Amino acid sequence: MSSLLSVRREVGEFRKRYKWMALVVIAVFGALLGRMIQLQIVEHDRYAAIARDNITRTITLPATRGVIRDTGGRIVATNRAAFNVYLTPQYLASSDLARIAELMGLDAEARATLARRVEEVPAPRRAHQIRVFTDVTRDQLAALETHQQDLCARAGTSERPIRLPCLYTAAEPVRTYPYEQLGAHAIGYLNELSGEELERLAPAGYRLGDRIGRTGLERAWESYLRGRRGYRRVFVDVRGREVEDALPTDDRPTRRDPVPGRDLTLSLDMELMRIIHRAFAGRPSGAAVVVDVRTGAVRALYSKPSYDLGAFTRGLTHAEYATLRDDPFRPLIDKTIYESWFPGSTFKPFAALAALEHRTLDPNERIECTGHIDLGNRRFHCTQSHGEVNMREAIVQSCNVYFYRLAEQVGQDELAHLAGDFGLGRRTGIGINAEAAGLVPTRGWYETAGRRFMLGYTLNTAIGQGDTRANLVQVAMAYAAIANGGTLYVPQLVERVTTPSGETVEEFEPRVRRRVQVAPEHLRLLIDGLYGAVNDPGGTAYEAAHQVRGTVAIAGKTGTAQVSQRVRPGDPDRGTWTRRPHAWFAGFAPAHDPQVAIVVLVEHGGGGGTNAAPIAVNVLEEYLGGQASTASAPPLPPARSARATRVARR
Amino acid sequence: MQTIGKGLRDNFDWPLFVTVATICVIGVANLYSATSAASEALSDRYIQQIYWLVLGAGAAVLIVAIDHRHFERFGYAAYGVGVVALVLVFLIAPEIRGSQRWIKIGAFSLQPSEMMKIILIVALAKYLHNDPKTDGRTLKDLVIPGAILAVPMALILAQPDLGTALMLAFIFGTIMLLTNLKLRSLAALALTFVISAPLTWTYLLQDYQRGRLTSFLDREADLLGSGWHAHQSIVAIGSGGTLGKGFMMGTQNQHRFLPDQATDFPFPVWAEEQGFLGVALLFFLYVFLILWGLKVASQAKDRFGAVVAVGVSAYFFWHTIINLAMVSGMAPVVGVTLPLFSYGGSSVLTSMMAIGLLMNVSIRRFSY
Repeated sequence: MSSLLSVRREVGEFRKRYKWMALVVIAVFGALLGRMIQLQIVEHDRYAAIARDNITRTITLPATRGVIRDTGGRIVATNRAAFNVYLTPQYLASSDLARIAELMGLDAEARATLARRVEEVPAPRRAHQIRVFTDVTRDQLAALETHQQDLCARAGTSERPIRLPCLYTAAEPVRTYPYEQLGAHAIGYLNELSGEELERLAPAGYRLGDRIGRTGLERAWESYLRGRRGYRRVFVDVRGREVEDALPTDDRPTRRDPVPGRDLTLSLDMELMRIIHRAFAGRPSGAAVVVDVRTGAVRALYSKPSYDLGAFTRGLTHAEYATLRDDPFRPLIDKTIYESWFPGSTFKPFAALAALEHRTLDPNERIECTGHIDLGNRRFHCTQSHGEVNMREAIVQSCNVYFYRLAEQVGQDELAHLAGDFGLGRRTGIGINAEAAGLVPTRGWYETAGRRFMLGYTLNTAIGQGDTRANLVQVAMAYAAIANGGTLYVPQLVERVTTPSGETVEEFEPRVRRRVQVAPEHLRLLIDGLYGAVNDPGGTAYEAAHQVRGTVAIAGKTGTAQVSQRVRPGDPDRGTWTRRPHAWFAGFAPAHDPQVAIVVLVEHGGGGGTNAAPIAVNVLEEYLGGQASTASAPPLPPARSARATRVARR
Repeated sequence: MQTIGKGLRDNFDWPLFVTVATICVIGVANLYSATSAASEALSDRYIQQIYWLVLGAGAAVLIVAIDHRHFERFGYAAYGVGVVALVLVFLIAPEIRGSQRWIKIGAFSLQPSEMMKIILIVALAKYLHNDPKTDGRTLKDLVIPGAILAVPMALILAQPDLGTALMLAFIFGTIMLLTNLKLRSLAALALTFVISAPLTWTYLLQDYQRGRLTSFLDREADLLGSGWHAHQSIVAIGSGGTLGKGFMMGTQNQHRFLPDQATDFPFPVWAEEQGFLGVALLFFLYVFLILWGLKVASQAKDRFGAVVAVGVSAYFFWHTIINLAMVSGMAPVVGVTLPLFSYGGSSVLTSMMAIGLLMNVSIRRFSY
């Protein structure tokens, strides 16, 4: 019976231990419950998001980029379907790659590139598609699609074969430019975002592989053209296969239709661009701008040589890019906007206007030109000895000495201010590409630049040399302002924005930058001079205009801008070309009822009268010649003396 | 025999029965959802589970009907059969996924190692019941029970089946804690464990087992590889939230991101679809079951009954917490099932027999 007693004692001992055990059980389950609270309540959102991402694949529905048309409705930039090929590295056997290369007809180098491309995909991305070919030909596409079934059959191990599609083709829009090279700088091209840009632009909805406007209008109007991508969400299982009757994960819509980009209608006239291009035949390098003097609408922005927008959009090889970059005629530079030039004699009308407005010179006063003037120990040259000339004759014959004398009397700052009022040396705000500001120096500018001001600077300024620089659009807008009675417009390239179905979203009215306060008499006097330069025998552009025997009355000014005499070291071939002056013509037509202003620059073309003026005359003749005849235009009324005129003072 | 019938009627342990029945019903429903997404071959598993549960219930009824003092008599005989079955495994069991665990009996596959858990409890109970020693036990006193553990454990480790072997050790440890073990002996045991752990790591563990353990310590390092199971399980649990996604609506489960939903990972399916409320309910049921087992043990009229009840509680406790810790990323993925919730014939049968034993002790705690 002693054993029975001891059992009783032991049971008592057990009871104590049960209590401890129960406590341990409760504590352990308490800890596990804590973990469940952490997972299910505290961190719920995080895991819910992971679970959602697990089963959701978002398929992007690309937005069609807006179409760009010229003022006549001709398509300048549009989209076509390109077939792109995607591979899923994880499902690929090595034999598949060789087969794909064979079907695509790749050469050895391209095969190696393909193999490297696939190999480089990091492990976590291997179950995702990567784009390996863009814009394949119809034949390649047909070959791939025919043999799609045999591919991917050998992937995986013998125990776990993978029989999932490893190859995928998709039609995606690609940008195409029917005019290829024509107007390339103004229109611009697209290419793919880099990783760094992506970081910056991701909030705006850009993604890896997206293309973005790089230059010209494609860049400046990116936000209008781009549209908004849509998406379709599909639900997949753990193997990435689409599940038909998927479970709802949230209230987000499973589809958002893409919003196509807005279409642009430009003020540019591609027919005019063609005309200009033909007129530039035989000239390797140059630029031209045509604007509507009544609205500031830009009708032509032509920069030569150019490049093929399609090639840029496809992507250039390094060699192709290097060829363009190293071309001495600099095809990559937009010579209408990006670069500023010595305006040369095309500046003279503004010097003359400054003198008239400040009444420092009677336009009828004759100044003797002996071919040069001496200032201190420097000699300032003229093209020839013109004898005694008044203002009109000085403009017609482009006499430098007259303008040297004029400049002495007007003064540096007065020249600069008037030129500035006409927009020279000031950015026009055209809004595409990087615009060169140019410069019309003031006394203050020289001081800031640390150069002691000298009268010689003013002399050079008056003939558009020295430190005076302007871009072509500035000169065109300034001449347009002369032609239209003093209204300086903002150059506009886009007439209106429309939806793809043609509804107008936004229409752009002419934007006046400034109404320059100059006396109409003075402008008439100036226009008379410009008319003379083209139409008077002895005018600098007379020969050019005479040869054409056109029907369009043109007023304008030639320019022969001297360039630096320095020869770039180690450059014997180019030395001669780069030392030739730039040939200019700036003017407007019809002379008595101006519609358009034109600026032509032949880079290192030589004399403006023989090299630039013929181009301008031909272009205007072809462009406006079909319109109302202006050949028998009545002569302009003689300008009255400036001194006898009431001048609108600034 | 009259006393047995009377005991059954008057002292039937309703709380235990209701708890177990609830877990079983929930488990089958959950299994239905868990296997509905899986391939065709698995989709009738919940039916099979019902068969096993019925079979297990039958076994439990048999066990309940027989006074546990009779089991005490056959304790060592059962132990001998169990060890022989474990040896047989090496001779006749096919190798599945690198280990030999199952013996085919007709259409069924049985896992002797699962049965061994029950047999070990009974064998230890018999030993302790017959051991007259009442004062503090020393290490020397642990030699015989240690041997009782060591033989099946070594055989199971050799299969290899680390999870089950550890489970035997845990059950053994728990039972031994109840006996009057001296503090010094306890310290010595702990020391042995500390010393043997690195040796086990180096010599006994297979590469895949080591991989599971390392991936537990650094789950993020290899999410697509060995960390995948635990990661997807945690995501399933966490994404369930408070109220859950609804029956059959768990995306992790239905889209098959959860591996082994039926066997090792049925809990995440439940947690995902029923949310924290469902989890709390299940926790309550298991905790109640375990504490009830301890209560039964404390009221047992003899040492055999007490040890059996503690052993059954330990069996449920360790299985449950290891499985829950495993699926919630707090323990490595070792392949320990959630009793009565996981799919598996041997597991269900063992659990039901364990419940039968507990019920047996419970019903007779007031008799004689």
